[in-house]
Amino acid sequence: MITVGIDSGSRATKVAVVSDGRILAAVKAETGREPALTASLCLDDALRNCGLSRQDVSSIITTGYGRDLIPGRKRSVTEITCHARGAFEIVPGAKTVIDIGGQDSKVIRLDGTGLVIDFVMNDKCAAGTGRFLEVMARRLELDLKDFESEWEDARDASKISSICTVFAESEVVSLISQGVPASSVVRGLCDAIASRIASMGRRVGIERPVVLTGGVSLNGGVRRSLERILGIEIIVPPMSVFMGAYGAALIASSS
Amino acid sequence: MRSGRFPAFLSTILKNKLTYRVASLALRCFGGRMCPYQLAAAKGVISELGDAYSARKPVIFASAFVPTEIVYGLGAVPYLPEMWSGFAAAFGVSERGIDESEAKGYSQDLCSFHRCHLGLEELSLLPRPSAIIVSPHLCDGGRRSLYAHSVSAGCPFYVIDVPYVMTDSSVRWLSLQVERICEDISRRVPGLGLDRMGRAIENSNRARKIYLDVCQLRRNEPAPWSGSEALNYVFAFLSGWGSEWLIELYESLANVLKHRIEESRYPVPQERLRLLWLNLKPYYKSSLFEYLERSGVSIAFEEYSYVYWPEMDERRWAEGIAIKMLTNFGWGPIERRLDAVWKMVSDYQVDGVVQFDQWGCRQSNGGGRVLADFLREKGIPFLELDGDAVDPRNSSLAQALTRLQAFVEVMDARRQQARGAHLLSSLTRITQERGRDQQDDHRWN
Repeated sequence: MITVGIDSGSRATKVAVVSDGRILAAVKAETGREPALTASLCLDDALRNCGLSRQDVSSIITTGYGRDLIPGRKRSVTEITCHARGAFEIVPGAKTVIDIGGQDSKVIRLDGTGLVIDFVMNDKCAAGTGRFLEVMARRLELDLKDFESEWEDARDASKISSICTVFAESEVVSLISQGVPASSVVRGLCDAIASRIASMGRRVGIERPVVLTGGVSLNGGVRRSLERILGIEIIVPPMSVFMGAYGAALIASSS
Repeated sequence: MRSGRFPAFLSTILKNKLTYRVASLALRCFGGRMCPYQLAAAKGVISELGDAYSARKPVIFASAFVPTEIVYGLGAVPYLPEMWSGFAAAFGVSERGIDESEAKGYSQDLCSFHRCHLGLEELSLLPRPSAIIVSPHLCDGGRRSLYAHSVSAGCPFYVIDVPYVMTDSSVRWLSLQVERICEDISRRVPGLGLDRMGRAIENSNRARKIYLDVCQLRRNEPAPWSGSEALNYVFAFLSGWGSEWLIELYESLANVLKHRIEESRYPVPQERLRLLWLNLKPYYKSSLFEYLERSGVSIAFEEYSYVYWPEMDERRWAEGIAIKMLTNFGWGPIERRLDAVWKMVSDYQVDGVVQFDQWGCRQSNGGGRVLADFLREKGIPFLELDGDAVDPRNSSLAQALTRLQAFVEVMDARRQQARGAHLLSSLTRITQERGRDQQDDHRWN
């Protein structure tokens, strides 16, 4: 049975085509102004990549902020359930899933059988999200891909005390003007996000194994700060960015 | 017009006696089309607004959970500014009110209920109070912001000091305060007296008795009353005790709910899950509740509809009022609130609890952790939903919907797992019984 999961996120749309729990194709694109159109193009692209057509698809489940805008879905499911489902499939026995996306971040607690028992999401500001990192990377004139190497090069971490993206950006500007190395600022930013996620996580109780998903999971700097602050190993599974779409496709195949 | 001259227009309408005559006439002519309890509530509100805005009766401002029996007993009209902030949100003028208060220098960290009514005064949308009574229930912001109204109106301001714990001496101390405050008001405000106090207590007891029937009917599965509508009627629960109209409202409501149960006519006929709702809700237009009802989720009961006080003795009215204030679950040790929440969870057989965390509201948010741990220990899913009940600009519907939808998914998954476990244990039992039967057959053969 071929099923599809579409994760229409605030920054990126991810599509996963799945058969028997295996990802046949996965496509990602910027969501842009028309989430439905982007999802449709991604879907066509993904199906083409694995030599399938829409007629071959048994069921589509959507997730993400644009989940109710995508036509052709069987139903929509929240990112919380989808990320949990996808992560548990890849890392059986996972107890905690940390999903850091473009607009929000979530810590999801599982009971060991894959059942979500609690979750917590960041409040309405962009602090602790991919958007926060994007703004800071632009200010530092760095590529997000360079964050891990900068993190490693840092001798210390600058203190970023504000949790507000706008105020934190001012702090970064001030640190740059004081001649603080970019690597220290990067490490400070990663620590700021990790501290915020860690305090959110403590609300639901972080238990091993911990899986990191979402766009920010590719940011090695944030992952390493998280590991340092939480004092535990964080698993970043393959295709971690597609975990929501993958989970949605798995739910489609089981419902 | 809504954003510009609407407040001035609304002020003119509210202060015109003709408005209330026309509204009463309209209710007489077209009220038959309304649900009987809605009609009773509308009649009560229109009559009191008419009395308040046309100064037919003295108006006493009170903070939420000051027992309004004493206001009716004095012969005045109770006016709860916090409650009217909710109405302002429903009528689309809360943003103007909030902007006005912020322009006056009130911090954005102050709860929007208070910012809104402080701004409504600036927009001339509040009646003029003859006295103000506040209690420490719920919050400190309420006391302070209502004090600001007393300064503008130049009227006496009374703070009831409610002891934190209930003892015989705290009842005596509080009764004495209530008596003295009422006596002082009756001396200082012309037209008020204590002679109607017994009647107000009698009305309150009658309404309470009928309301307990309503609560009993609300235990029915599926829920006979829509929780989103019930949350609108919190205004009656807060401001109607001691009045005649509350009796009529609850009588009509009980009858309607009885008929709905008899005829199996429910707001959410395909009820899958039941919720207990803590604190208030967004009073501006929001699709949160439509989502819940569409998903087969009922709000079976709400915290601010919970009767926590015993019947009062009309002859010892001040003592009755004191006990009502002392037993309030929003005051005193957190265990009192936990007990109340657990009673509601058990009585209404809910699958989960949602607490709406109002921006700047310390009384509910402060106890959030303890409540979350308490419910988690009991195995009841709990969601703290951040938002703003009055200022639509201060919360994101998409984020709230995601949280609520995920919470529903968590409850669904739990229920499925419980069903699976139940099925498995039934199958195991049947297999074991068959095994025993076969052994018995073998033995006898």
